[in-house]
Amino acid sequence: MKKNGKHRKILTTFLKNRTSLIGACISVAMIFIAIFAPWISPIDPLKQNVYYRLTPPERGHLLGTDEYGRDVLSRIFTGTRISFFVGIVSVILGMVIGTGMGMLAGYAGGKVETALMRTLDIMMAFPDEVFGVMVMIVLGTGVENVIIAITVLMIPRFARMGHAPTLALKEQDYIAAAKSIGASDSRVLMRHVLPNIFGDILVMSTLWLGTAIRLEASLSFLGVGVPPPTPTLGSMVRAGVDFMGVAPWVSVFAGLAILVSIFGFNLLGDGLRDITDPKLYAR
Amino acid sequence: MKKMKVMFSTVLGFGVLLCLLVPLAVGSGGVLKIALDAADISDIHPHYAHTTQDRGVVHLIFNGLVRYKTGDIGKFEPDLAESWEVSEDGLTWTFHLRHGVMVHPWKGNPGYELTSEDVVYSFQSAANPAKSGCAGGYVGMSFEAVDPYTVRVTLKKPLSETLFLPRVTDYMGGLVIPKKPAEELGEGFRTNPVGTGPFIFKKYLPKEKVITVRNEKYFRGVPKLEGVEVFFMSDLSSRKFGLRSKELDVIEGPPSQPWVEEMQALPGVKVDVFGPGEAGVLYFNVTKKPFDDIRVRRAIGYSISRDEVATTIGKTIAAPIYSPIPPPQAGFLTRAEVKLRGQQEGKDLLYDLDRKKARKLLADAGFPKGLTTEFYMTERGEYAIPMQNVVAQLRESGINAKMITIDHATYHHNIRADMNTIVLYNCWRASADMKLTHMYHSGSIVVTGKKPISNFIHLGKVDADEDGKVDSIDYLIEAARDMLDAQGQRALWQEAQYKLIDWCVSYPLFIKRFTYARQKYVDWGYDLKSTLILSPQINELTSISK
Amino acid sequence: MIAYTIRRILIAVPTLIIVLTITFILVRIAPGDPAEVRLGDYATKESVEALRKEMGLDKSMWAQYLETLKGLLHGDFGRSMINGRPISEEIKRSLPYTVQLTLMGIIFGAIFGIPTGVYTALKRNTLSDYIGRTLSLGGLSFPTFYLGILLMFAFSIKIPIFPVVGGGDIHNLADNLHHLALPGLTLGLIMTAYVTRMARSSVLNTLNEDYVRTARAKGLTERKVIYKHLLRNSLLAITALIGVYAIVLIGGSVMVEIVFSRPGLGKMMIGALKQRDYTTLQAVMIIFASLVVLINLITDLTYGLIDPRVRYK
Repeated sequence: MKKNGKHRKILTTFLKNRTSLIGACISVAMIFIAIFAPWISPIDPLKQNVYYRLTPPERGHLLGTDEYGRDVLSRIFTGTRISFFVGIVSVILGMVIGTGMGMLAGYAGGKVETALMRTLDIMMAFPDEVFGVMVMIVLGTGVENVIIAITVLMIPRFARMGHAPTLALKEQDYIAAAKSIGASDSRVLMRHVLPNIFGDILVMSTLWLGTAIRLEASLSFLGVGVPPPTPTLGSMVRAGVDFMGVAPWVSVFAGLAILVSIFGFNLLGDGLRDITDPKLYAR
Repeated sequence: MKKMKVMFSTVLGFGVLLCLLVPLAVGSGGVLKIALDAADISDIHPHYAHTTQDRGVVHLIFNGLVRYKTGDIGKFEPDLAESWEVSEDGLTWTFHLRHGVMVHPWKGNPGYELTSEDVVYSFQSAANPAKSGCAGGYVGMSFEAVDPYTVRVTLKKPLSETLFLPRVTDYMGGLVIPKKPAEELGEGFRTNPVGTGPFIFKKYLPKEKVITVRNEKYFRGVPKLEGVEVFFMSDLSSRKFGLRSKELDVIEGPPSQPWVEEMQALPGVKVDVFGPGEAGVLYFNVTKKPFDDIRVRRAIGYSISRDEVATTIGKTIAAPIYSPIPPPQAGFLTRAEVKLRGQQEGKDLLYDLDRKKARKLLADAGFPKGLTTEFYMTERGEYAIPMQNVVAQLRESGINAKMITIDHATYHHNIRADMNTIVLYNCWRASADMKLTHMYHSGSIVVTGKKPISNFIHLGKVDADEDGKVDSIDYLIEAARDMLDAQGQRALWQEAQYKLIDWCVSYPLFIKRFTYARQKYVDWGYDLKSTLILSPQINELTSISK
Repeated sequence: MIAYTIRRILIAVPTLIIVLTITFILVRIAPGDPAEVRLGDYATKESVEALRKEMGLDKSMWAQYLETLKGLLHGDFGRSMINGRPISEEIKRSLPYTVQLTLMGIIFGAIFGIPTGVYTALKRNTLSDYIGRTLSLGGLSFPTFYLGILLMFAFSIKIPIFPVVGGGDIHNLADNLHHLALPGLTLGLIMTAYVTRMARSSVLNTLNEDYVRTARAKGLTERKVIYKHLLRNSLLAITALIGVYAIVLIGGSVMVEIVFSRPGLGKMMIGALKQRDYTTLQAVMIIFASLVVLINLITDLTYGLIDPRVRYK
């Protein structure tokens, strides 16, 4: 009974909050594009027509053509699909592994906690792009490897989120009570700790999804992301830079797609955060 | 708040003021600044220099006995040698040196006159695998200083002029290093070369540039330029903007049509597109399925429009080629010749685009629904760009060729380790003999050959045309190598190529030329048609008229 | 305080060593042999072996590791594998450009971010607040490289005011600044977005604190309340987050350097990556990570100085 009321309240606050509403609309639109890209693309994104390359936007090609004569609009749709796929998978994996690590560290305490938190400190000693580039060089390019790289970068963020609340909740009475009646550790974690932090984690995931997308684009831009001929927004921007003088639409529109995606998730996450806990700081 | 506003506008104003005070980049009248696509030099010892940037520096500083005519690799001209003759049996070559050629001054030593002693020293060094990266070209040769101005070269086996002269030209081992500075500087010679050319090495700034100055005592006359600075800028935009801001006079460009057009549209800029270029050829690894089936290889050939691949690179830059030896190299075949031979033998040797034929061949070979394969490709633009177009074209025939992109070094490693199925290789080799030997002789088979080089096909150990017998052109290559008569040599090379085309073990795609953009006030001083060093030659005739 | 300082330093040192070790390992398990890269198309088995020996690559991993460690203790980063020159030279040349860029980024960010953040916090939920918040969120969402490209397009290509060739002559101040303008602006705008948000939330938080209400109740003017209590206590939050922003700043500077082909550590790193120059790559990674560890250390110490409660954790 109580739960329903809380959720209803959140929903109405959400709908009233303009930021999260607009953010949600943008995000949903981009996700729609990502999912239905193969069906809504007017032209096969891989089809080349080199005799018709670098043409400006027009009826047949709403956003122009790239250096191989491929349709920029279709490639942006597919690129969005790839970027979102990488982003969502990385965030989910990072969330599961990272939160797990954080909760474990907070709950177990002692040497385990120190070891885990020190490891996280070390992982966070490298700037995102620098570490990402290193991982990609070691693993080689490819979708799976990009996912691994970004997941690794997501883990410390989620771990931090899982750690502090677990520490605090550990001391609560009802935890001691649960344990005294024989509840196993994992049960305690799952049933009592997790639900309390889940909301916050979900909110931060939205924000970090934007970060993940930005990272994937940056890695592709640097040339160590998903390799050609798969279209990714980052590599499209990179390729377009060489033609900025004669055909700026390639870079500009691909970059715009990245910007809008990230903006949408940031608006949404920000709005959600305002609703659920205005005191949260973010990275 | 108000205080902040005042602060803000002051800072902004100051910033704007400073930025506007920038002095325009002015060229230092008389020094040519050329930027090449490279991060740094590797080695500027002429017998080790093998990258474009290395050669770009080395050619300013050294001469050979003979030289390719500046800007035209089709002709030979005297350089350090005024004249030469060869004996009847082709075993002895005698070169008569110019008088008064002065070696550059170096590290406190004044220059001195170059004599045959230096020339002999240079060739012996070039022939020594411990002191040179091109010793292989001088096996079986001995060098003798008959008198201070005469050098005699004795061969064990006769070589035609086509094959011998390149070894004594102003290229690689033929570049003459003077004895005294080479011995004195030892290893230091590799970063402080001393020669006889129009420009003297002055300074090397790592990852930045090499500075050379005019050689007042150059035997062809005082160079018009005061000096040449070779910059290493691996970033295309940096080079482009350097040219626009007039900080650079010449820049290397990518083999890209849009780039050429963009540069040509700039005021005061001219683009040079010159040869010989590099030939891009697809090599099939016949030991890997399904490429052991000649029908599959032919199907691939019929799925590709060479014209489209060449257009991907650029209409003014690349052109389709129809023979393994590309034009303008001696021994190449024109489209008409290939077509004619095909007609004479009742077969098609052109493999022009024909998707229906391609699909039929695939079906015959057991792939009615198309086939899927993987191959490695390097991330380097000049390979990756045309290959992406090839992949897109193959898709239209139902051939799904998945490209695995890896870095350039690993690519070279993998293809030499026999890991690849289809190999795109861009190169120019000094002669048809070298090209055919490297790519098609059984001794050069990767990994297992006697002296593995780049025979990715495994030709010489495989049955290419499925007649049950192993196919090889070794005997044709070897026979041609030993021929003294240039015409006969060419005929043998052509025979070898007709076979290669028929077997479809490789698919010649394009020849792509080099692109450089320069300020209009740069005058090369000669007609730039082709250079072996892959960058424009700069010599005593080159000038800037600002 | 001294005990706290010592404790913090003792944690930082092993962190640095572990960072070095990880970098060392990562760089060496990466595919691509530097000898093969150097020889390029002309690599034959013998020449590769010979070059590997010359580069010291034939020694055992452990030997190479110890050598690296020893060198670092003397401040020697070793020699580049591509041209054999001492890496410290290269670093000395590139570092000023990176420092310039990051300084401009953080100064610009502070100058524009703090007032904006404070202003929007004070004018909470008004139109100016919404505009400010949306702009700063937009700034955060802007991928650094995209912003750089757009600025480059606008002010180098379309309207050629600014150059994009590298960083300019370091000895010529005017030329230097001319080359710094766009890259610095790019990084500066991104940092402004971050700082605005941080300033806003820290001000908002402090506004709600009891002692501010108490000060107001005491009858202090609004202005005094703001300047005296707010800013001084926000210092804590700012200090804590400088560590975070250092990382963003460094990562951002790498992207900006690549987009504008500007010399600096970031460009060195990517260049070393492409050439498989293990030693240079390692050196740059270590510097980056050390910078972060160092900044975190300073932040912790400053935090300890400002807030005594932290020292006794």
